[in-house]
Amino acid sequence: MSTPDDVDLDRVWANVAAEVWRRQPGRVERTAARLLKSPGLARALLTTPSLLLPWLIATVVVLGAGALAQVAAGQPLVWLIAPSLAAVGIAYAYGPGIDPAWELSCSMAVSDRMVLLTRAVVVFAANALLGLVASAATIGTAASAGTVTLTFAWLLPMTAICALALAVAVAARSASAGAGAGVAAWIILVLARGLASAPSGAPGSAPGVQLTAAITDANLYLPYLAVAVCCAAAVIYATRPQRGPQ
Amino acid sequence: MNIELSDLTRKFGRTIAVDGVTLDAGPGVLGLLGPNGAGKTSLLRMLATILPPSSGDLRLLERDPARPAQRREIRRRLGYLPQNLGYYPSFTVVEFVEYFALLKEMPPHIVPKAVATAIERVELGAKAKAKLRTLSGGMLRRVGIAQAIVNEPQLLLFDEPTAGLDPEQRVAFRALMRYFGQTATVIVSTHLVEDVGAACTEVALMSEGKIAFRGTPEELTARGVDHGVGDAPLERGYSAVLAAARSAS
Repeated sequence: MSTPDDVDLDRVWANVAAEVWRRQPGRVERTAARLLKSPGLARALLTTPSLLLPWLIATVVVLGAGALAQVAAGQPLVWLIAPSLAAVGIAYAYGPGIDPAWELSCSMAVSDRMVLLTRAVVVFAANALLGLVASAATIGTAASAGTVTLTFAWLLPMTAICALALAVAVAARSASAGAGAGVAAWIILVLARGLASAPSGAPGSAPGVQLTAAITDANLYLPYLAVAVCCAAAVIYATRPQRGPQ
Repeated sequence: MNIELSDLTRKFGRTIAVDGVTLDAGPGVLGLLGPNGAGKTSLLRMLATILPPSSGDLRLLERDPARPAQRREIRRRLGYLPQNLGYYPSFTVVEFVEYFALLKEMPPHIVPKAVATAIERVELGAKAKAKLRTLSGGMLRRVGIAQAIVNEPQLLLFDEPTAGLDPEQRVAFRALMRYFGQTATVIVSTHLVEDVGAACTEVALMSEGKIAFRGTPEELTARGVDHGVGDAPLERGYSAVLAAARSAS
């Protein structure tokens, strides 16, 4: 069978292949592309390691187990787990060693700073949402002491811990360093405030109440806010576009 | 000129990776040769706008990459294949190439055809829907080449592109470089002197961060006429220039 001389078979095949191989973006990707006004940024968001389904399932399982333990045993696990889970997720959102094609991504028109900040915001929002659902499920248990305020109070320390994890991850160019810093800071803070607020002469007599001191102590709210703002400023500064020779 | 470098320097602490390089290049294929640690990859990363220079002037595609808005314009017209191409194991070939087409801010409506064309150019059509984790090293290299050319770049940078390719694929890749070299500036950093002889219109040889030689492959060959080291004429030229540069420093 012959073809007319003016038919470019390569071009015809490219059109056919484009139709056959065309990938239809899912609803989430289409919505993200509309909101972010960038299909590239939307696609980059959906490849975030800490937003992939296995990671989200693991987060749900951990928070679910924490909520069950809180309901059954009265231990304030959701409040203690949620900030460190979010910090690890934020640290593992973007960076060398985490994103396989990180160097290539740095040469793209969609700026890596926008990718980092977008991913960080969405990971934070996802973790806050999951934490709130788990926390809301425990309202009325002994550990929540029946107060709705306590149920939401961990959001502020979570913000500070996440900002710290992101700042360390960006500065050290290491997700593990960021995650380690966030988790370590949270553990130290919880233990330090728990020990400081423990009733004298009865160490460990009411561990639930003491362990929540890092969340319930109103004197800490301003320092949390200050840490969050400072760390966010550090991230924005460290990822600023280079304007000239270094 | 698509590339204009003037006294470009890049330092890492006390180490000078690129030492006062002055270079310009228009359309064509420029081979960047040199031993390990000569500064080829650092120079290529500066041209890819990933690494800012420590000092000197750099203009790409008649734009200043130090200015964010102009850098973005350069990146839309840039194709880059890094030495170590990371990949997403769960992506298919099409998804991977499409992802970088979108990150290069290509208009979404032209992306499917551009992706198909790029994949066909590297002869991976039969593997278009295959997951990257199932591909061989040579195929992954070709996927990397496909993402680099998907936007029909005006500036194309390849760092060791033929590593892992078999002889037949290397021949095909050289043809691809020559094709893009007709309209774009293609810079290829390689250890393989035969790639340079077969595909490059010009050669720059780097030694200790400096350009020790700039000329055509024939001129490099001529430098090695009385030099005994090397199997092929071009290799003898390479060795002769390198020996001269080392004895001068």
